[in-house]
Amino acid sequence: MTKFRSTLLYFAFLLVSALMLGSAVHAQAPAPAAAPASAADAQLKDAAGKAPSQMDLQKGDPGGTITGTINDVPAADSKAGVTLPDVANQAGQNKIAINFVWTLITGFLVMFMQAGFAMVESGLCRAKNANHTYMMNFFVYTCGLFSYWIIGFALQMGAAAGNSNLGGLQSLASEHTISLFGKMWGLWGQSGMFLAGHTYDVGVMVIFLFEMVFMDTALTIVTGACAERWKFLAFTVSSIIMGALTYPLYGNWAWGGGWLAQLGTNVGLGKGYCDFAGSGVVHAVGGVTALALCMIVGPRIGKFNRDGSPNAILGHDVSAVLIGCFILAFGWFGFNPGSTLGASASGNLRIGTIAVDTMLAGCTGTMAAILYMWALKGKPDYSMSGNGLLAGLVAITAPSGFVNTTSACIIGAVAGVLVCLSCSFFENVLKIDDPVGAISVHGTNGLWGVLSVGLFADGTSNYGGSWNGVTGSVTGLFYGDASQLVAQLVGISTLIGVVFTISMVINLAIEFFVGHRVSAETELAGLDIPEMGQLGYPDFVFQPEPAVLMGQA
Amino acid sequence: MAANKQQGSYLTLFWTACTVLCAGLAYFAEGFGKLVLLLGLAGVAISLFGFLKIKPLEGKTAGAAGVAAMKLLGIVVAWGGWFVTIAGLHLTTNTSGRLIFALVGIAVSLVGVLGILPVAFGKSVAGKAQAPSFLAAKTTMEHSR
Repeated sequence: MTKFRSTLLYFAFLLVSALMLGSAVHAQAPAPAAAPASAADAQLKDAAGKAPSQMDLQKGDPGGTITGTINDVPAADSKAGVTLPDVANQAGQNKIAINFVWTLITGFLVMFMQAGFAMVESGLCRAKNANHTYMMNFFVYTCGLFSYWIIGFALQMGAAAGNSNLGGLQSLASEHTISLFGKMWGLWGQSGMFLAGHTYDVGVMVIFLFEMVFMDTALTIVTGACAERWKFLAFTVSSIIMGALTYPLYGNWAWGGGWLAQLGTNVGLGKGYCDFAGSGVVHAVGGVTALALCMIVGPRIGKFNRDGSPNAILGHDVSAVLIGCFILAFGWFGFNPGSTLGASASGNLRIGTIAVDTMLAGCTGTMAAILYMWALKGKPDYSMSGNGLLAGLVAITAPSGFVNTTSACIIGAVAGVLVCLSCSFFENVLKIDDPVGAISVHGTNGLWGVLSVGLFADGTSNYGGSWNGVTGSVTGLFYGDASQLVAQLVGISTLIGVVFTISMVINLAIEFFVGHRVSAETELAGLDIPEMGQLGYPDFVFQPEPAVLMGQA
Repeated sequence: MAANKQQGSYLTLFWTACTVLCAGLAYFAEGFGKLVLLLGLAGVAISLFGFLKIKPLEGKTAGAAGVAAMKLLGIVVAWGGWFVTIAGLHLTTNTSGRLIFALVGIAVSLVGVLGILPVAFGKSVAGKAQAPSFLAAKTTMEHSR
């Protein structure tokens, strides 16, 4: 009897437990996450089961159809296998990896532009200065890179956090600001000196490399304008300071979240100052600095006659100039498409349009310069042809991310003519000696590029739905937004009014302490032996220069 | 005299001092940062005076000295144009008004950069005056003979 009661109680307990469990399961049934997650996990397990085995892979995969499967996704828990969170994490890392690789490779292309600049500038100078000109282009990389590492990057990008393409860059989050007219305005960044502390970060390293090669491009523009009479010591000191201070300041205002970028959010000017890849930040900064230095250094001996008329001082190597231009055009595919800072997500597939815009503007720039010179002077001048290509590329650099191909052609063609007119203006009217035309190519056309954003941006780009914190797409005057043009003009005014004067004051100080110009004897002899200790072409037999170029006419 | 050992030495000091100065800035909040900053500043100052000391050894250059007051005027006018542009942003909220202010500001800056400064540095805007660098070079050459 007792055994019967115990058995009855046991079954009663089981029945009650089953009912309780059933009600509990019933209560949990509506929970939305559990069922799909387990279904997805089941599908993932199924996919893992169907994935090619080690035996299959050992046979080789000539068609590339079985390499790269679910088995290549790392599982957080090897016993549980690949789960949905594992796949999501891998997808996120793949996006960032694609963007890292894209940004790094395009940065490598821009770095190679140094070789193009070296060839163009040296080719346009006389053989007696070849070593010196090549060495300036070589050493400027070192000067700029080191300055940028110790302080320049921090000033420019110290508050560049928020870029989702590169993982957020959250450690770059400190901007020095001032309050003016009730708004906060960014002046310079404050984190990232020596890439130490929290900025020892994979994303920060990628953005550092990319921004550094841009900065170095700006520095090397100046070496061409001052070639054949710039003391190597003064060049070094000037380049160190430009890489540490002048360039990063404007870079911060435009790209680092500074006050120019805030013109949209603070005073309602379009999407703020927009400079996609650096017509203003890189080229115009280099160009206006070159102008300031050309004024301080003065023209080469023999460049101008007593009546002020200029003499042509021919370069020594056409092949170096034109091959150098091609290298630069190649590097520009890093410059402009790379400025998306990614190829995946946030509207970055526009890189195709950006690359084609870049090609077309270079094409029409060359075409316009050649036709202009041919029609007006009778010959398709090689140096202006090269400068036409570069002018078109410089001009499309700012608008490349925002314009269509027709606009790119117009922008390039205008740049091709503009560079010819500008070279003539600086030489014949202002009596400024710029051996390679750097002021016109990079300065004048850099400003034209900045302006053209405010005219031609067509409002179709969409880099994550906003630009400079303002929702919508960048749209210029011809497509309905005049306020964007005003923002661009404020940027131009800053380049001419502020960047130029900062460069002028800094280089006047260097003139006082160091002296920019080599002695007249050194200049006449050629800078290779006195400044560098060796001729660029030791086996050459130099012909005597015309008397007028020796200051004896 | 061209490039020489003294230049190399002072440049090494300048570059090292700049690096130390930046390290001082980077760690300014910590106690030793301020000391490092002072060391850097001292190094930069010494190197600059070193540059100044060896500058006369270079020999005479062909560049023109220009007019100091005009240089200052040119710089002030160039900078002033930017102030006009910025003032326009706050004096009006009208896009056309801001556009006009920006264009006027750019024009003023260009007067300073392309109108005053080339003259201040010894060049003729009209192209009628003698090229000063050429004359300076002639003077230098005659002097050296």
